[in-house]
Amino acid sequence: MLITQLKKKEEILPFLKAKTLLVACFGCKEVFFPEKEYQNIKEEFKKLYPDLSGEIVLDYLCNEDYTAKRLELYRQEIEKAETMVVFACGVGVQTLAGLLASKTVLAGCDTFYLPGFSGFTPSSYDCEQCGECRLSSTAGICPVTACSKGLLNGPCGGAKNGKCEVSKIKECGWENIMNKITTTGKVAEKLKESVSIRDYKKSQ
Amino acid sequence: MPKLDFTKYKLKSKEELADILALKKRIFVLSCNKCFNELTSDLEPETAELNILLNETGKTATGSRALDFLCNKFLTEKTLSGLKEEVAGADAVAVIACGVGVQTIAGILNVPVLPIADSVFQGGYHGISLNAEKCGACGECYLTLTGGICPVVDCSKGLINGPCGGAKNGKCEVSKDKDCAWENIYNRLKGQNREKVFILQEPKLRNYNKNSAEFMDSYVKTIQAKRNEGFYGGLYPEEKKELTEKLPITKITAPEIVSIPLQQHAGAVCEALVKKGDKVKAGQRIGESKAAISAFVHSSVSGEVLAVEPKKHPLLPEPVLTVVIKNDKRDEVSFAVNSKGSLELSAKEDILKAIKEAGIVGMGGAQFPTHIKLNSNKPIDTILLNGCECEPLLNADYRLMVEKPEQIILGLKLLMKAAGVNKGIIAVEDNKPEALRILKAKVEGDLTVEVVPVKTKYPEGAERMLIKRVLNREVPRGGLPLEVGVIVNNIGTALAVYKAVYTGEPLISRVVTVAGEGVEKPGNYEIKTGMLLSEIVNICGINIPSNYELKMGGAIMGFVQTDFEVPVIKGTNGIVVVRKKDDLTAEPCIKCGRCVNVCPMELKPHKLVFYAQAENWEKVENEGVFNCIECGCCEDICSSKSHMVEIFKKSKKIIRERKK
Amino acid sequence: MKFTELTKNGKFIITSELGPPKGFHIEKALHEAEVVWPYVNAINVTDNQSSVMRLGGLAMCKALLEKNIEPVFQVTCRDRNRLALQSDILSAALFGIDNLLLLTGDHTTLGDHKDAKPVFDLDSVSLTHMVKQLEAGKDLAGNILDGEPPKFCKGAVVSPCAEPLDPQLFKMEKKIKAGIEFFQTQAVYEVDKFDKFMKRVKEFGVPVYVGIVILKGPGMAKFMNENVAGINVPQELIEELKKDKEKTKSGQTGIEIAARLIKDLKPLCQGVHLMPLGWDDKVPQILKLSGITVDK
Repeated sequence: MLITQLKKKEEILPFLKAKTLLVACFGCKEVFFPEKEYQNIKEEFKKLYPDLSGEIVLDYLCNEDYTAKRLELYRQEIEKAETMVVFACGVGVQTLAGLLASKTVLAGCDTFYLPGFSGFTPSSYDCEQCGECRLSSTAGICPVTACSKGLLNGPCGGAKNGKCEVSKIKECGWENIMNKITTTGKVAEKLKESVSIRDYKKSQ
Repeated sequence: MPKLDFTKYKLKSKEELADILALKKRIFVLSCNKCFNELTSDLEPETAELNILLNETGKTATGSRALDFLCNKFLTEKTLSGLKEEVAGADAVAVIACGVGVQTIAGILNVPVLPIADSVFQGGYHGISLNAEKCGACGECYLTLTGGICPVVDCSKGLINGPCGGAKNGKCEVSKDKDCAWENIYNRLKGQNREKVFILQEPKLRNYNKNSAEFMDSYVKTIQAKRNEGFYGGLYPEEKKELTEKLPITKITAPEIVSIPLQQHAGAVCEALVKKGDKVKAGQRIGESKAAISAFVHSSVSGEVLAVEPKKHPLLPEPVLTVVIKNDKRDEVSFAVNSKGSLELSAKEDILKAIKEAGIVGMGGAQFPTHIKLNSNKPIDTILLNGCECEPLLNADYRLMVEKPEQIILGLKLLMKAAGVNKGIIAVEDNKPEALRILKAKVEGDLTVEVVPVKTKYPEGAERMLIKRVLNREVPRGGLPLEVGVIVNNIGTALAVYKAVYTGEPLISRVVTVAGEGVEKPGNYEIKTGMLLSEIVNICGINIPSNYELKMGGAIMGFVQTDFEVPVIKGTNGIVVVRKKDDLTAEPCIKCGRCVNVCPMELKPHKLVFYAQAENWEKVENEGVFNCIECGCCEDICSSKSHMVEIFKKSKKIIRERKK
Repeated sequence: MKFTELTKNGKFIITSELGPPKGFHIEKALHEAEVVWPYVNAINVTDNQSSVMRLGGLAMCKALLEKNIEPVFQVTCRDRNRLALQSDILSAALFGIDNLLLLTGDHTTLGDHKDAKPVFDLDSVSLTHMVKQLEAGKDLAGNILDGEPPKFCKGAVVSPCAEPLDPQLFKMEKKIKAGIEFFQTQAVYEVDKFDKFMKRVKEFGVPVYVGIVILKGPGMAKFMNENVAGINVPQELIEELKKDKEKTKSGQTGIEIAARLIKDLKPLCQGVHLMPLGWDDKVPQILKLSGITVDK
């Protein structure tokens, strides 16, 4: 799932000109969009550039058909604007830029990724969609995502006190796999015998 | 246009499956009903292939179950705890889901969990719609430079400084079906005369450390904690309480004419006790009913009855019998308005009688007659006073808590005495520290009343949510708070009870927060029941901007008003102007899973809508439509703009009528 | 010697190309290089060309240097992240390699290890930026290098006959801004198109060495037309290849076409880059026939 952060003010300021229209999407405001920060920065911009041409709120920008319909309602504002600064995730920005190909569409946010696909709550488990699920041999813990190197054939030597060399807040995925295997048995042998190599073609 | 399908998994090949299942004999199959494809069928995912394989290889399927959103750990865990026996009999659980689903199950069950599917690589992240655009979530958006076409996802090498030389006829070197993203970017920029800007940019380098473990962990943990705080689901809407929280309650002068509906409560409509031409006094009873559930109605002014006729009601679809009274401005008070006693002097029955006489109903919006609520034969141990006011914009209860804490506490104690309990709790959301401070000071040393802060989350004020959080008791689905020994009352109601006993004043005025976009004079106003909305609109200078609408009640659960010739009634806690819901038609559900994630009643709102649209009322009922508290969380975050609450209200009505 | 200096002295640059072997026995490759060397200014050493795994370019360059043959070290972004790229560039400086050709590289799926992870941590532009940074005595993260920084002549590639051309020019300009000092081009078969291209890039003021690939037969021409980016072999050349099958098979037709192309293209550009694709032994013949001689 996608989560959005505002770009730094200094990054956005050069975008703003007299004929700039701000476009905000609050579709994911609950957890994934910094609505408050946006409202604050908007007020600041208005003070700095009193002649900003305006703001429109188009929730669920990423819903292309729907956004196309909605844009009709704001045709005048959009025609007047030369530049549109979009506060949404990357999908939203691209959708709008695609629908308004003649307009300069700029991104006001950076988009990050959180584990989990459906719903609102990020998952504690991550799936990289490697296309060759090996969870059956790793006790249901994913080596591709739970190990920060994505190692398939066992742990590296980097863990200390069960924590990954990359970060003390990250558990060593392979220690967890090994621990769980010893409690559920059997699978371990198979894991020892085989050498896994990722087929990156499946995730391209 | 047919929607794209972002189903996250596909079944593994037969050979792989044979290998994975090799040592297992008895298999329990769990499958996920898929997400991010159009909801067109409630049939289970394609498990047939697996079943054939199990048969062929002589395995026993000990059972199977298809669930919505396996990755929803909270709900999945609950469901699985009901399947313990079936699962216990199996050597392994085969899971048909994406990697997140499989891992979720593996995290819950302590038996071997086997993935039966491979996740499907999507080449980037889609939004919450089925749209071809994808985002690489790189954390350093380049779209500004690239004309809104993503080089990270759309270029197969993820180049960010321009095209490689590999494209031929506009197609990428890796596939003739794939456009060269950079040719598209170039054309887009060229069309906007921006290609020079790009060339002049310093060479860009990706920062691959943007999604560091720390970054992700902090987000995941805070969001998870927030989502599950106190109760499952719910929302954190922007509150905008600051608009009126500092404005003391002021009275709005009674209008020339009041229109008092004879139904301002749950239950039976009252019969009019007056007729055209009658003189009435303020506080005089003008409507009553002999039905088991009803509440008396009183005149809010003194004057002459102009008409008794059906008139438009702010909440009900059909006109309701209404007493229209011309205010003579003499403020003559009915003889019935006099003190009925006090906390010390009045017996349980006296208090109940006073409450009934005063026509008191739940003032948080539900308007259930208070005397009936109190008079239950179930064992009750606690009165919970709901000071959450979790709806955005509203401050009516907050102002009362700040300005009239003694009366509210007395009201609570009267309620406790009436219900025969020794324990009273006032629960206040922690976004109201001032109210908490004042109330706490007032109950210091009092062992019977406790003031409890609760975390702010919508719909905290819903009875069952509050009971869960404050008392950790779970009201059974379809049940009432009574069943767990609790009666929940609103702050305004407590004040009304105080007045009913100490002054004998019936419920003929209430505090209403008027706020929102385009409101010139926002505030917390004491308004006589029966005052028309149109007059309040004038007095408070409400100019509704385009794309906004006026609601009576809260910003989320309130009722949209288009005709302003409707009166303020007992349950009107707010008059708010909020951003309009889109009136464009809803789009098909794409199983984004967000409604399931926010439903505090742990329902599957998307399935309810699906069955309601198919008019499969039996399923609608089985899926628990009657547990829906119409809080509107699902509708608020629905990515397909489904008007869910309306659908659920209608469904309930239809099912009830069919049962008659 | 650095191409920039040669070009400054008004010299016409001739380069050829050498693919390292799949294995570590380089005798044959060295021999081919020695055959070509008297006729060229330098020999490009490819980097896992077409994403097919071979011996490393850096080692091959070192071997050429030991034979006093001037190499051009080709570097792609396909297989190495920025750490490996920087350390390889520094190693190149240690060996005394003067000329680099900086490329993005073909995608892994085009080669013989289709399952491999495509790296593309950097691309040709950021790679150029990176080399420039090293030349300024700093690594990409801004850390100071020990001692005298390296100095290279940095080249890149461009496809003059690509359709559409504009995105190519767009990138070319960006590469120059990032520090590119010469361009070797994709194979050119259309003189007119190349002429137009050169007129458009004249303002950039950066030398362009035109790419020549020997046509081995009509099948190869057709294949390239269908599959290879930026290449269009005109129909009349295909007819010419078809006319005398024996002559074509012996390589003579290809040699004649190449020599003719060089003769026609020479006045338009600052050098020629031959990509013999295994026909290294034909290089001397082509150059003789085209009438150009190397000026070292």
